Amino acid sequence: MTKSDYDGPILEIDKLSISFFTRLREIPAVMDFSCVVQPGEAMGLVGESGCGKSTVALGVMQDLGVNGRIVGGSIKFKGRDLNAMSQEELRAIRGSEIAMIYQEPMASLNPAMKIGNQLMEVPMIHEGTSAADAYQMALEVVTDVKLPDPERILKSYPHQLSGGQQQRIVIAMALMSKPALLILDEPTTALDVTVEAGIVQLVKDLGKKYGTSMLFISHNLGLVLETCDRICVMYSGEAVETGSIEDVFDKMQHPYTQALFRSIPLPGADKNTHPLVAIPGNFPLPHERPSGCNFGPRCDYFEAGRCDTGHIRMDEIAGDDRHGSRCVKFREIDWDAPITVGEAKEKAEIGKVVLKMDNLKKYYEVAANALFGGGDKKVVKANETLSFEARESETLAIVGESGCGKSTFAKVLMGLETATDGEILLDGNNIEDIPIQDRGTDIVSSIQMVFQNPFDTLNPSMTVGRQIVRALEIFGIGANDAERQQRTLELLDLVKLPREFSERMPRQLSGGQKQRVGIARAFAGGARIVVADEPVSALDVSVQAAVTDLLMEIQREEKTTLLFISHDLSIVRYLADRVMVMYLGHVVELGDTDQVFSPPYHPYTEALLSAVPIADTSVQKQQIVLDGDIPSAMNPPTGCPFQTRCRWKDDVADGLCDIDVPPMRTLADGHQIKCHLPAEVLARMEPVIKMAAE
Amino acid sequence: MEPLSWGAITLRMLAQFAPVWIALIATFTVSIIYKRKLGLYGKLFDSTIGMIGFGLVMFWVFTAILGGPMDMIVTHDALTQISGLKNKTPGVVVPGAQENGLYSYYLLGGDNLARDVFSRMVKGSWVVIAIAPLATLFAFMVGITLGLPAGYFGGKLDTALSFFANLILAFPVILLFYLLVTPEIVETGIPSYMAAVLFIFPLIFATVLLNSRYHTQPRIRTPLLIGVLVVLGWLYLSTISEVGSKIAILPSFLDGFDVPGGILVVFVSVVFVNSPTVFRIVRSLALDIKTRDYVAAAQTRGEGAWYIMLWEILPNARGPLIVDFCLRIGYTTILLGTLGFFGLGLPPESPDWGSTINEGRKLLSIYLHPALPPALALLSLVLGLNLLADGLREESLRD
Repeated sequence: MTKSDYDGPILEIDKLSISFFTRLREIPAVMDFSCVVQPGEAMGLVGESGCGKSTVALGVMQDLGVNGRIVGGSIKFKGRDLNAMSQEELRAIRGSEIAMIYQEPMASLNPAMKIGNQLMEVPMIHEGTSAADAYQMALEVVTDVKLPDPERILKSYPHQLSGGQQQRIVIAMALMSKPALLILDEPTTALDVTVEAGIVQLVKDLGKKYGTSMLFISHNLGLVLETCDRICVMYSGEAVETGSIEDVFDKMQHPYTQALFRSIPLPGADKNTHPLVAIPGNFPLPHERPSGCNFGPRCDYFEAGRCDTGHIRMDEIAGDDRHGSRCVKFREIDWDAPITVGEAKEKAEIGKVVLKMDNLKKYYEVAANALFGGGDKKVVKANETLSFEARESETLAIVGESGCGKSTFAKVLMGLETATDGEILLDGNNIEDIPIQDRGTDIVSSIQMVFQNPFDTLNPSMTVGRQIVRALEIFGIGANDAERQQRTLELLDLVKLPREFSERMPRQLSGGQKQRVGIARAFAGGARIVVADEPVSALDVSVQAAVTDLLMEIQREEKTTLLFISHDLSIVRYLADRVMVMYLGHVVELGDTDQVFSPPYHPYTEALLSAVPIADTSVQKQQIVLDGDIPSAMNPPTGCPFQTRCRWKDDVADGLCDIDVPPMRTLADGHQIKCHLPAEVLARMEPVIKMAAE
Repeated sequence: MEPLSWGAITLRMLAQFAPVWIALIATFTVSIIYKRKLGLYGKLFDSTIGMIGFGLVMFWVFTAILGGPMDMIVTHDALTQISGLKNKTPGVVVPGAQENGLYSYYLLGGDNLARDVFSRMVKGSWVVIAIAPLATLFAFMVGITLGLPAGYFGGKLDTALSFFANLILAFPVILLFYLLVTPEIVETGIPSYMAAVLFIFPLIFATVLLNSRYHTQPRIRTPLLIGVLVVLGWLYLSTISEVGSKIAILPSFLDGFDVPGGILVVFVSVVFVNSPTVFRIVRSLALDIKTRDYVAAAQTRGEGAWYIMLWEILPNARGPLIVDFCLRIGYTTILLGTLGFFGLGLPPESPDWGSTINEGRKLLSIYLHPALPPALALLSLVLGLNLLADGLREESLRD
């Protein structure tokens, strides 16, 4: 098949409606969706989970499974209607002219085939290229996606590569056939931030180099800002606002878009004086959508009689470039009105030291042969000389990417593992050697944890109430079942859930509601230290704000010490009092939030700050993309753990970084960094994030 | 009187099964009406395969219950021999039926001892339906009680238990059965001791289940545990102890019932060969589920290991286990057939399907009819169980 010369829009979707048919009812997943992607243009599709953005992509690929069907509208690719094509025609287009990149790189690659063969397959199948030519092309593309040593990569199997490298291979595979349209479905969600930054940079460069049009699906507004030219915001199956990045980000014309921007922590937000505004209510289930505007029940500008009747259409905004909004009132709303701030919360008084870690070390011994225990033993240094203090009512954020040792640290603190060396002092008493089964109920109940994945945090076969009652039973609270039942209802009040929820099964709850139950359970025994392991990262943006605020509010009331583990620096900046940055088991920087977020930085902190996408067009960022991946903890680099990826390494004399682990240096009061860089180099560092002059 | 034609035989058989049809129709009507409220069981009625499987299984369950203890469907006594009907073909007239108040025909003919093939097939279903699910349940108890800690703790315990499971799985099953029923071996008491060990697992399971759940509230825990343990302990001791055998712990006035030695051996064999497979399934499920956050949450609030295994992990492994349970009843049914076929365990005159197939086999080249009905019965029950398992698996994945 030849790729015809065609100069119209690459993709035209017109009034597309897609429904899924279950045994009970038809569930409309996408309704009345229109968009146009011009050649070389990158279109961002943004929305919360369940809004139908992935369904649109699958609709374009005509791959909706047995239950899904396109019930209306048309999808034209280069002027030809995809709905009318036969399976053979579609097969010729998929992978050749339209390529798709999914979220899980490992699931997109065949684990039993070498990378080279998988890449070569593409041109061999679609264009009948000879194996030798295909190999040359594969080599070229792998070089293009900036992978080191392409020949070795082509000879390896997928499991021999890291997640970031795998995703680069998936992108390379998509580019092998020089597609006209590239669909990226959350391509970086499964990756670490610094790796994500590299991929995003790559996608941008390749888009320019090959002139490929892109449909970029993401829940992250910041990412879309960095990669796309145009954006389409979806809510509950409908596109609610579409336009160029600048128009939508700076002159938004739909209440949902506005609410979305107000619920994400941008630089400048502050938990006490300038809190996030969560969107009230819950995302409607597909079969429980309201009549009229889907966003109506949660909208601040809702007007009965106008917003809840009839079908609301997308309307053009005069004067802007293809900027539309699906709102009946957008011309009347004063979009520049300042946010009505709820009462500014009093900052909680930070109290005495509750928890102190001193030189904590945790090593694991990994036997080479698991069955008979023989062979050489390897030592994994999961935590290396961890020292810090946490005070009452304080939020200490622990920042780092996967493999940095933050989960191990949490396990040691909880008593699931015992420390190899060093001390953990809770109220002055050593607990580092006491495993959880030997800890008294009061110690166990005072250190509790909130988990990351809301879909995994509750036992799916037990009612919500039963799970909280169980925690109360274990902590010895309440004399009988009736008292515990009462306490459960109070806990549900505390996390702002209706009391009826105690009878519900976890599957009947949304992600945010489950996370609230998880919080209620953690506070069941009056926890004084709560370890929150990425408690909001798996939640939708609008729910994140509400759950974060809830945590802050409970903290203010209960004077809890919050250890907030996260890789998301925006949210850390918003809520933390102090920040601890970890890399490969080492604490590389520790200080007040202001100290950590402004220069001088540790080089790793600097890269992290630059990697986090910020959804604000007025922010200018320094581009710092780290090379390579995080080294394995089994085989850490000699000297400074960060030296393999550090861009400042040349400024240290005598190659000290390769030889010695740097000592912890105190820069200012309470600000410590673990780096060899001399003071004058540190003084030279510039802020990574700058607000453009207004 | 003339022998019956095949059409008449079919009609009369359908009529004999009338109580089963009524029970089946009632079950299906009620289930379909309320299928939205019945969870996974209700979803079964959305799948044709599942419904066919369920229908076949329930057909034999009702036949077993109504024909076995309630004596409804059968036309003659399963053990009575009527002279002159030896190896007679289906539809044969029973001589002197009117005078003796007997049914006038042998619907499926007579076997080599002049007994009614149809009635023996119906009676045989009771043996299968009574033993197979119960034996499978015991195998699951053993497999779960050992598989959960193997998966959850891992390490040396897992290595040792998995090794033993593989050892048993590698041993030839038929040879094992022959060994178990050899008089010399029975005399040493090995089967009784094995029964004593294998049957204690439900006891352990129940104790740990209740204790881990209620140990924070001794006032509920203690009476509950004592009650359950007394009942289960008495059942256990009655089962394994038999006056005159190697294990005679209970005095005879306390020994509630005696399980015939043959049946006990069948139970022991079936549980012994099935539990390693169950062990492996449970172990792998435990390995998977123990990485979930709710397990970590239980650990961080200081729950005991058994609570986590039995209340956090096991309920969430139920889907695959239910499916495997159905499949495994099928295997057990075949295993019972095999045991009967080799004449192991069950008494020689037992009407169970394996034994009758074995008897029919001897004259198979001349008379087909005594062996075929029990063979078809076995086939349809196992097919039904497999279809039911397929339907359950399919429906549990859909939503």
